[in-house]
Amino acid sequence: MTSPSAPVVATGYPWPIETTRLDNGLRVVVSEDTTAPVVCVNLWYDVGSRHEPAGQTGFAHLFEHLMFEGSQHVAKTEHMRLVQGNGGSLNATTNPDRTNYFETMPAEHLELALWLEADRMGGLVPALTQETLDNQREVVKNERRQRYENVPYGDAWLRLLALLYPEGHPYHHATIGSMEDLNAASLDTFKAFHQQYYAPNNAVLTVAGDASPAEVFALAEKYFGLLEPVASIPPAPSPHLPGPATSPARETVTAAVPAPRLYLAHRTHQFGTAGYDAITVLAAVLGDGRGSRLYQRLADGARIAQPDYIGSYGVDLAHAPAPLIITATAKDGVSVETLEEGLSEVIGSLVTEPVTPEELSRAKALLTTAWWRQVSTVGGRADTLSRYATQFGDAASAGYRLPQWLAVTADDVTEAAAYALQPESRVTLTYLPEAAETESNGESA
Amino acid sequence: MTLIATRPDPGQARPYTFPDLQRVTVAGGTVIGAHLPGQALASAMLLLDAGAARESAGREGTATVLAKSLEEGTAERDSAAYAIALESLGAEFSPGVDWDTFRVGVSAPVPQLLDAVRLAAEAVRTPRLDPADVNRVRDDEVTALRMDWAQPGPRADAALRADLFGAAERFGRPMHGDPASVAAVEVGDVLAFHQAWLRRPGVLLVAGDLATLDLEALGEAAFAGTGGEPLAPEPPLGVPVRAERRIILVDRPGSVQSTLRIGHRAPERATPDFVAMTLAATVLGGAFTSRLNHLIREVKGYSYGIRGAYAMSRRFGRFEVAAGVQTAVTVPAIVDTLGEIARTEQTGVTEDELAVARSWRAGQLSVEMQTPGSIVGALSTLVVHGLPDDYYATLRRQYLETTLAEVSAAARAHLRPNGLTLVIEGDAAVIRDELVAADLGEVVDSEI
Repeated sequence: MTSPSAPVVATGYPWPIETTRLDNGLRVVVSEDTTAPVVCVNLWYDVGSRHEPAGQTGFAHLFEHLMFEGSQHVAKTEHMRLVQGNGGSLNATTNPDRTNYFETMPAEHLELALWLEADRMGGLVPALTQETLDNQREVVKNERRQRYENVPYGDAWLRLLALLYPEGHPYHHATIGSMEDLNAASLDTFKAFHQQYYAPNNAVLTVAGDASPAEVFALAEKYFGLLEPVASIPPAPSPHLPGPATSPARETVTAAVPAPRLYLAHRTHQFGTAGYDAITVLAAVLGDGRGSRLYQRLADGARIAQPDYIGSYGVDLAHAPAPLIITATAKDGVSVETLEEGLSEVIGSLVTEPVTPEELSRAKALLTTAWWRQVSTVGGRADTLSRYATQFGDAASAGYRLPQWLAVTADDVTEAAAYALQPESRVTLTYLPEAAETESNGESA
Repeated sequence: MTLIATRPDPGQARPYTFPDLQRVTVAGGTVIGAHLPGQALASAMLLLDAGAARESAGREGTATVLAKSLEEGTAERDSAAYAIALESLGAEFSPGVDWDTFRVGVSAPVPQLLDAVRLAAEAVRTPRLDPADVNRVRDDEVTALRMDWAQPGPRADAALRADLFGAAERFGRPMHGDPASVAAVEVGDVLAFHQAWLRRPGVLLVAGDLATLDLEALGEAAFAGTGGEPLAPEPPLGVPVRAERRIILVDRPGSVQSTLRIGHRAPERATPDFVAMTLAATVLGGAFTSRLNHLIREVKGYSYGIRGAYAMSRRFGRFEVAAGVQTAVTVPAIVDTLGEIARTEQTGVTEDELAVARSWRAGQLSVEMQTPGSIVGALSTLVVHGLPDDYYATLRRQYLETTLAEVSAAARAHLRPNGLTLVIEGDAAVIRDELVAADLGEVVDSEI
């Protein structure tokens, strides 16, 4: 069997896209596909943890929770009950860049979903109570315990952000926030937060699936059309950074972890740029799958890294140079120094040993599958279109991403590595098991 | 007024359909294909009657070590060449083991699926299984399990399973084994498992655009060189339940949350009460607005989330509630959880709650079955449990038509609040005294 060369793909988004903008500034994107009788309603609000001032970390995410607790015409607990009770799936996420809300419903409930979203965009504040805030504050604190504090290595992302981005930079703090700030959150702050950021002119509404553009545009006008825009939406603190760091940073954590682990990270390019497309391909060449350089050389070759815990990935942030993270966990009896040396060598090889045509085509094949998987559901499609409309002003530009990945050359990857992955710009986060503070012999209970 | 006050009515619903199925018998095996027009990706799954239940005592994890060894090279190519061949197709190869089956998932862009299935079959049917590689994979798996068991959850799961099914029984041991049983796995165990169970044809499931996928060629690729008759199913295990509650404490010093695993045994998947039980469990702990999640998360703020459900395989089932709760409120969270289970058992569900459960379960059959991967998963349920091709349409109707009396009766019959085993994995030094004082059942320390 021969390796196929990367196919030429004209677009990564072969479904129709129609857009409009309401008078109040709400951008509406519709992508009709009647294959399945389902429809996804997705909203991106252009507000994330990057907007949080000092002392208010975690507020954008805690606010996201409050959006499920009722609004002017939707009683407490009704939002979830109405979506699930009509067959739907729903959720929301917050990251440094933005907050998104989405529900996939049987198509006959499209109008219900739009009504629910409009009611919490325009009518959250009257329903917001101290009791709700206190309850969701405890829920979020438990989320923090469950996801970050109670699991080995769980706080790596929190530590990496602080090492990658300087104090005062909007990406310096993690979206989950600190317990102290969450405890200090006041009801008035959240009311003001909603009034500032949850405006039609700060959002994109995308509907994908079994609904026509004409129907969606009319319903969007009906439910969202009379909401008032907000005149001056406060921008996030300046995200400007020159690019990769100019001096290395290092942190070593001794904790209740089962084996030594390394996270190496670099600031690269912003998501959406040609430079970041090269980083995306680079990350796949370096650390995606058993055929990647990291797996072949350190898990399979030198056998110093655990095969299940080695890889590299970019975090797709759009407002400042985004991180590339490379991680590996030491096999029993392997010192963390040996592992770091191995990782550094493989990373360095991206500059000194050109990426081969086989490596490039393997990486592109994996990225192609990953792309089509992302857009295989109406939910994935709606989120993708909302992202491109919010971050680049054009939903249809989503179709360019896959062709742009496929156009990346071996030279582009080498250049990206030489630019972003130098040891001088590296963040090194090391976890050591508590019992192995002196020298590990690999024993464990 | 800028908002519309009135909640809109639903529009006209399109009739529910499950994708059209095609069956092909070829090379001694059966291919079942589901037509998904217009999907760029396709999924296949080779389903073999070779679940974890077929492992030898003390060697639990043998099938998992075998699954991970399949990619260490084949008769035709070494592990690096194999990985590159597979990944250059953009294919994902995911062998795995559950109680009933050994399943090998393959997904790829539609034009590459046949080559991907050929490669998958090469690994499944003719793996190299070099002893040195198998030993290394086994050692890596021991390490991986130790990594996993350092997380909250796996030890609690193992303690619950041992108590419900008996630590000496296969079903009382973790599905993928534990660090000790995997360490005991020898090359001979892995070779014997392959020889006995992975050279039978099995069933190949395919979901994708059948206008361009050749089911016959896919079947020939999957079944080449295989032989053997289908295996006779074994009977269900029965549903013994404790006479009184038991509390098992798994110490995790410094834990900021307590991990709860609370359950008892239940009937196997073939039970005629399946739909009514599923609806009852949805009301109790399945939906976001379920009794448990509402009280423990939305009213009390004790947890990020709590769920309760029946999990059922061919020979057994169990009811289980799972949650992580803040350490300081461990006991009140358990008391509230027991209260909701008992209330549901004693007084059943309400029409309002049931309406949500019915519509949610029915709607999910459309909403959560959009992709080739999810359709292949749905097909595997049909095969493993011997269900008819029109099963999902029937299931949808049953979800919508099962009555309040039937669901409440199922709750009464299949919830056993006084026979629960409660496993609590947390900081024993902090929670033990309060737990003993609460007098919810005998408190014992886990040996796991």
